Amino acid sequence: MKIQLTRAFNTIFDNKVAQQPLSAAFLTIAVFASTASQAQDLQVEIAGISSNEGKIYIQLFKGEDNFKNGVAAAASIVDAKEGQVSVNFNSLSAGEYAVRYFHDEDNDGQFDTNFLGIPTEGYGFSNNAKANFGPPNYSDIKFSVSDENTKIVNRSTVNY
Amino acid sequence: MQRRYLLKAMAAVGAGLSLPHANVFGQTAVSNTINVKHLFNQAIQKDDALIGLADVQQNYTEQSLKIDGKLPKDIHGYFYRNGPAKHERGEQRYQHLFEGDGMLQRFAIGEGKIKHIGKFVNTPKYAHEESAKRFMFDGPDTKLTVSSAVAHADTINTANTNIIPVGDDLWALWEGGSASVIDKASLSFKNFANLGENSQYGDKLKRLPFSAHPKIEANGDIWNFGYNAAGTIVLYHLSAQGKTKNVGLINTDFRAGMLHDFLITHKHILLILPSITKDASAHGMFTSIRFNKHQPMKVMVLDKNTLKLARQYELPPGFAFHFGNAWEEADGSIYFDASLYSDVKILHEMSHIMQGKHIAKPATSNTCLYHLKANGSVDYQRLKENSEFPRVSNYLTGLKNRYLYHVGNTHDGLWSDSIYRVDWHNDTVESYDYGKEYIVEEHIPIAQDNNENNGYLIGTALHVPSKRTCLNIFNVAKLSDGPITRAWLPYHLPLGFHGNYSAA
Repeated sequence: MKIQLTRAFNTIFDNKVAQQPLSAAFLTIAVFASTASQAQDLQVEIAGISSNEGKIYIQLFKGEDNFKNGVAAAASIVDAKEGQVSVNFNSLSAGEYAVRYFHDEDNDGQFDTNFLGIPTEGYGFSNNAKANFGPPNYSDIKFSVSDENTKIVNRSTVNY
Repeated sequence: MQRRYLLKAMAAVGAGLSLPHANVFGQTAVSNTINVKHLFNQAIQKDDALIGLADVQQNYTEQSLKIDGKLPKDIHGYFYRNGPAKHERGEQRYQHLFEGDGMLQRFAIGEGKIKHIGKFVNTPKYAHEESAKRFMFDGPDTKLTVSSAVAHADTINTANTNIIPVGDDLWALWEGGSASVIDKASLSFKNFANLGENSQYGDKLKRLPFSAHPKIEANGDIWNFGYNAAGTIVLYHLSAQGKTKNVGLINTDFRAGMLHDFLITHKHILLILPSITKDASAHGMFTSIRFNKHQPMKVMVLDKNTLKLARQYELPPGFAFHFGNAWEEADGSIYFDASLYSDVKILHEMSHIMQGKHIAKPATSNTCLYHLKANGSVDYQRLKENSEFPRVSNYLTGLKNRYLYHVGNTHDGLWSDSIYRVDWHNDTVESYDYGKEYIVEEHIPIAQDNNENNGYLIGTALHVPSKRTCLNIFNVAKLSDGPITRAWLPYHLPLGFHGNYSAA
């Protein structure tokens, strides 16, 4: 599938979230609380963070439709730390998930892009899915959570 | 028509790396099933002329040139050039000439001496790959078996096309991403220019495409464009120090994936869109570009003050990498010249030659002078001489020039072997033939005292039999007499693209 450059980067983070102050957007998302009897914990490890400046904004999606529509199941904001940070999402019900995040380097609550919509701040996806002049395919980002009561770890590196 | 006018120049390859196309890089990595390096190695054993396209392994340390003839005392400065030189790592050879990492060449001229150094532009891409001892990123055409993420264009910025002095620095230019700021003394990469820094634009200009053919007016102001494959064109007006004065965005339906050069007059910007399209079914950015003989070339004339479209013209179908100059007459009509091809075969030949393929009938280009009239009509004249790398005296950029300099071919071969001066006043062409054993690179005029009748023409040439590069200086008033200075390196340099002279 051919995706034009501008549109491709605009869709890395959907407009609903990316074009409003993100701190507000994230805080309005209820922390995921599963009622399932069996659940897993997810640890997202994000490496390659360039500095201690700003924050890392992470979103967790359940299912492809929610990912494409920008409807997050859970979200977290943590202080950036040069090197690596880890974020936990607990008690996930079984299903297919995807994670995306960005490093708000100037701490303005926005995922900054240039005039052509190309990111000017670091970003990344679960499975360390590769960006290639546009976001990776959902199939490269998704991962499964089973109903086994175990902890899973998903590692990736920020693209600057 | 005399044979010598038929021109068969491939023009010693005439353009810089174009901008990466969205999602071309997004395809699944394809194994380079054909060993391009092997094919090239086979070809170079049979044809010494290919040495200028061989891989360069290391920087060139300072070397004094052996001077034949007389070095003019009034040339005291630096002649810089840029071009791709890192074509191979390990068993991987790039498939297209535009893909290699840039190497800067500096000739320091003065006090009876000429000294040269050559240095790779240590971009983040080059640094990563140098450390890894392999190519890490897919190129526009070359797909690696294992490739790393390309987060944005500057991830793969090779800074391989042109070099200009800006303020206290040099800028090494590509066209898909940012200008690379280079330390003048050491030729070391400093950083990518963030054109909006400390201005109202902030980071909004960061990582935008910035072409390798900015036009610098006599007052020092820098004009440029950047092309995005989605059809958006960014227009830049910068100060002589590289500070942004104004930026505009123009949306077009031109989505061929490559736009290399542009022009200015004293009032307008000219965006000249060639007759090319993108074949969505083809792999590779350059490979996918096709000529459309039914698609007129389009000229968008934009107001320099507002950066808005003023008027448009349609020209007969054609293709050009390079334009020499444009100027505006009192009646509002505009003249401009192009090194015009009849199709885009030249672009693909630069891939074929990198792979050691024989080119039986090289593409040809000629100078074409267009007249865009105020009433909307157009006329043009096409000269017979082969033409590439057109240049005019710097102080006349955007103003009426009498002389146009270019290289070309008089020996009916693949490479440029001659230089030319077109005189628009007298409609005459003067030339100097280096001989078919030379591959002639871009030559640039150095006008003395802002008088294009006086001064020098300077440029490099590769002497194939002795495998040496020479720097040549001509008196512009006596071009056909040959160089007054020819200075030799004891070895050859990689064939490059564009350069500029900066007085000390």
